[in-house]
Amino acid sequence: MTPEQIELVQSSFERLGPDPAALATRFYQELFGRDPGLRPLFTTDLALQKVRFAAKLTEIVQAIPRLDELLAQTRALGARHAGYGVRVADYNTVGEALLAALAAVLGDGFDPATREAWITAYSLVAETMLQGAADARPIGR
Amino acid sequence: MAIALQRWPIVGRRPELEVFERALFSGEHTGLVIHGRAGVGKTRLADECREQAAASGLPTERVVGSRTAALLPLGAVAPLLAGGLGRSGSDVALFEETRHALSERHDGRRLVIVADDAALLDAASVALLGYLAAQRIIFLVATVRTGEPVPDLLTGLWRDGRVARVDLQDLSRTHLDTLLHLTLGGPIEAGAGRVLWEITRGNPLYVHELVLGALESGALIERSGVWHIEDLLPATGRLLDLVEQRIGGLPEQARAVIELLALCEPVELSYLETAAPLDVLESLERAGLVTVAIADNQVRLAHPLHGKVVRAAMPRLRSRAILLAQADRLEALTPAGPAALRIATWRLDAGGQPDPAILVRGAHLARHAHGFRLVRRLLEAVPSDLLDAGGALLLGEARYELGAFESAEQVLAHGQRLPPSEQDALRLAVMRAKNAQWGLCQPEVALAINAAARAVITSRPLAEELTADEACILTFSGHPDQALAVLERVTGGERRTRVVRAIAAAPALALAGRIAEAMATAEAGYADHVALGDELAIAHPAMHLVNQVFALTEAGRLAEAEQLALAGADIVAVNRVPVVQIFFAASLGRVATLQGRLATARRYYAEAAGLAQASKFVGPRRMALSGLALSCAMLGDAAAAAHALAERATGPAFGFRGPEQDLAQAWTAVVSQRPAEAARAFRAAAAQAASTGHRTIESWLLHDLVRTGGQDAATRLRELASKCDSPLVSARARHAAAARVRDARELAAVAADFEAMGAMLLAAEAAAASAEAFTRAGDRRAAAAAVRRASVLATMCEGAATPGLMHAAGAVPLSGREREIVILASDGMASKDIAERLYLSVRTVNNHLQHAYAKLGVSSRAGLAEVLRSES
Repeated sequence: MTPEQIELVQSSFERLGPDPAALATRFYQELFGRDPGLRPLFTTDLALQKVRFAAKLTEIVQAIPRLDELLAQTRALGARHAGYGVRVADYNTVGEALLAALAAVLGDGFDPATREAWITAYSLVAETMLQGAADARPIGR
Repeated sequence: MAIALQRWPIVGRRPELEVFERALFSGEHTGLVIHGRAGVGKTRLADECREQAAASGLPTERVVGSRTAALLPLGAVAPLLAGGLGRSGSDVALFEETRHALSERHDGRRLVIVADDAALLDAASVALLGYLAAQRIIFLVATVRTGEPVPDLLTGLWRDGRVARVDLQDLSRTHLDTLLHLTLGGPIEAGAGRVLWEITRGNPLYVHELVLGALESGALIERSGVWHIEDLLPATGRLLDLVEQRIGGLPEQARAVIELLALCEPVELSYLETAAPLDVLESLERAGLVTVAIADNQVRLAHPLHGKVVRAAMPRLRSRAILLAQADRLEALTPAGPAALRIATWRLDAGGQPDPAILVRGAHLARHAHGFRLVRRLLEAVPSDLLDAGGALLLGEARYELGAFESAEQVLAHGQRLPPSEQDALRLAVMRAKNAQWGLCQPEVALAINAAARAVITSRPLAEELTADEACILTFSGHPDQALAVLERVTGGERRTRVVRAIAAAPALALAGRIAEAMATAEAGYADHVALGDELAIAHPAMHLVNQVFALTEAGRLAEAEQLALAGADIVAVNRVPVVQIFFAASLGRVATLQGRLATARRYYAEAAGLAQASKFVGPRRMALSGLALSCAMLGDAAAAAHALAERATGPAFGFRGPEQDLAQAWTAVVSQRPAEAARAFRAAAAQAASTGHRTIESWLLHDLVRTGGQDAATRLRELASKCDSPLVSARARHAAAARVRDARELAAVAADFEAMGAMLLAAEAAAASAEAFTRAGDRRAAAAAVRRASVLATMCEGAATPGLMHAAGAVPLSGREREIVILASDGMASKDIAERLYLSVRTVNNHLQHAYAKLGVSSRAGLAEVLRSES
């Protein structure tokens, strides 16, 4: 990522306010709209899930400038998700849903540069989560 | 944070690894074949497959196909063989025995075998591996290079559809960015990321070699946490080998085409068709080595790296012969025109002495593309007695832009001694003054150069421009009042004069608090400059954007200022205009400081200082280091602030916004608990600002004096507010007045004003002060609300540690952990569940909650929910 992209991701996220609940709500709509088959993966109450998602996303966005901290976050998160049976293709679906949710919630603020910045950030997060997932779950299990 | 990993992380290959996993455990597949071009990462992927198999407890083995091993039947697979290679007997028996032995050795578990470069295996090895795979004794992971002939026996293995297949592609731009981020351990400057993409096109092997080579040579370096390319990227020996492998086997005629393109691309297809047989060109295109653009019928190398490597490896005499022949050819076709640049460069590359006239024409063309290095190279090849005034101007400008200020001064002074045209005389004087002011940091010399030129150049539009330029020198050396007085004499309507006038006037007006005029001037200046085009000896058009950002900031329109500065920074990053780049980074730091985003401010200022250091502009560097010290001090980091001040002291003085630079030592004194020294510094700088027309900065200084408990300055602040059309200056005056009489409601209202501007730190301090005043007045309810407001605002200030925040009772921001727990708790989650989710003990969660309650002035979860609602 470039420093400008990090800045764009953080500042656009900051515009959502301290509790990005609207983003979380929209994200799950977009996600299940794209792939209803993912719904059963979320066994907990969806309202709670949204709070968790928002809190985790906040942590990750804040950690982006410090790679060590980010890796600790995303690897652990990926490791947890490996246990839920999440596949690589699901990461693409999640990425699309996140971009769509951001576009909806940020409106005009989601300009091409901001979009590009989020795509780059998501790639960094997804790749390192997948790294964490691979380390946590031996193949075939 | 440089981590040149031996082994790089695997990026963008998870789908392929998933294919491997599914194939391995599906029960239907006997293997996986990985196809792909050279350097795409087939071996790396195959090894990753092997490691994952080993991690899940499967036995693994690795065999490699090669031309030498292929000479010995079964040589490659010797480690698998029962009884070793020397054993005699029939193949069938050998296969059967090997099957039994392997099965026994591995307890019936399938052996995962990577066969790297499988196309190079001998027939017997392939037959054995095929047999073992079909018997489910092994799972075969084979890599095959695209375009390499594959023996029938091998293709037979996967013809039955029981072998999964992946076609590996080069990395996408996004995946390349991710790979670089993970490998370098941090962000990379936009231009450097683009360069690496353009050279490697995502080929992982090239990326690997190029980045390692660049780290080693120091071309890729880290400054202030960001990676930059500072120098030409080296073509290392290993890179040479890699590319040589790809193009080494080409027939002579094809090789000649590649060499020609490497030196002179793009080349017209119509010419190449006369220089090489058509089938040679076709085969090169088919092999993916050259591309033909349909739009213009120009032929280029498909991979930029190939050109780089071929050039480095070509014998000097050979490249010289090609370059000279092409220069002759092009010269015969189009002696003048845009080809002049190419002709001149080729002749220089060939080591020859081109016609000086061609060099100068080429330099003019290169200047239009802002190619200052090339301008310098071309013009330094012209014998100095043949350099005319126009050439001296170009060379002086190029040296200035490249940070060679002393030699710029020499050639510009030399140019002035030649008999120049009046226009060249003007531009030489302007350029020389600019070099003296910005490069050598000698504004008095710049003014003397300007005065000397005014004595000689008297015809009207040019004389007016010189006067406008005098104002420029005054504005940017700390005398905006004098600049505005000088500009009274400039009434001219010439576009170029208007542009120079706007550059001088806009910041001077903004400093005088005449914000609306400053904005209008900067906007008109930009429009005029764009219409004027890119001329010599004049600032970059983006300087007007810098001025707009400044005016917006002085008005307190912080979000707009930030947006414009980000857009402007993008524009100049492409053109590489150092002074303007430094200004945009410093402007972003300045906006972030006022927004209270102090860690961000620190980062931008550090970036500006780094840019200034790299481009050798020590004056603007002083400005950036002042901002760096200021933001560090406001973060409470006295040591870092003192360090930045010490670094600043090693450079020369730089007058632009001089009193603002003094905020740095004043705040460093504040945070070092030397209040008397701090107050003295604020007052001295404010007096300096008052006597030189820096009204908005005087207001900043006096307001900070009040904020840090130094002294009352409400009267002067009100006076300044009446003279400035700036909501920010007005809010500062109201803040100081309300603080003096501890007017709780007015303080809360000012806090809201600051918040609306996005000045969160000032808003938090005013809210905290209002809380204190409400408490004093006995209004506990209003006091609690103000404390909550202050603490919420303080969380947006990225760790600010100013007295106004620290001394306010209770107004302490929530820590990240506390915030996380509060969010979960307010949503009704039980402490036990929160503890489980965050891997904490219930006791720790409850402790955090109690702290948060105390900070937010609530006593229950319901109260938390209410506070969080009022936040959003």
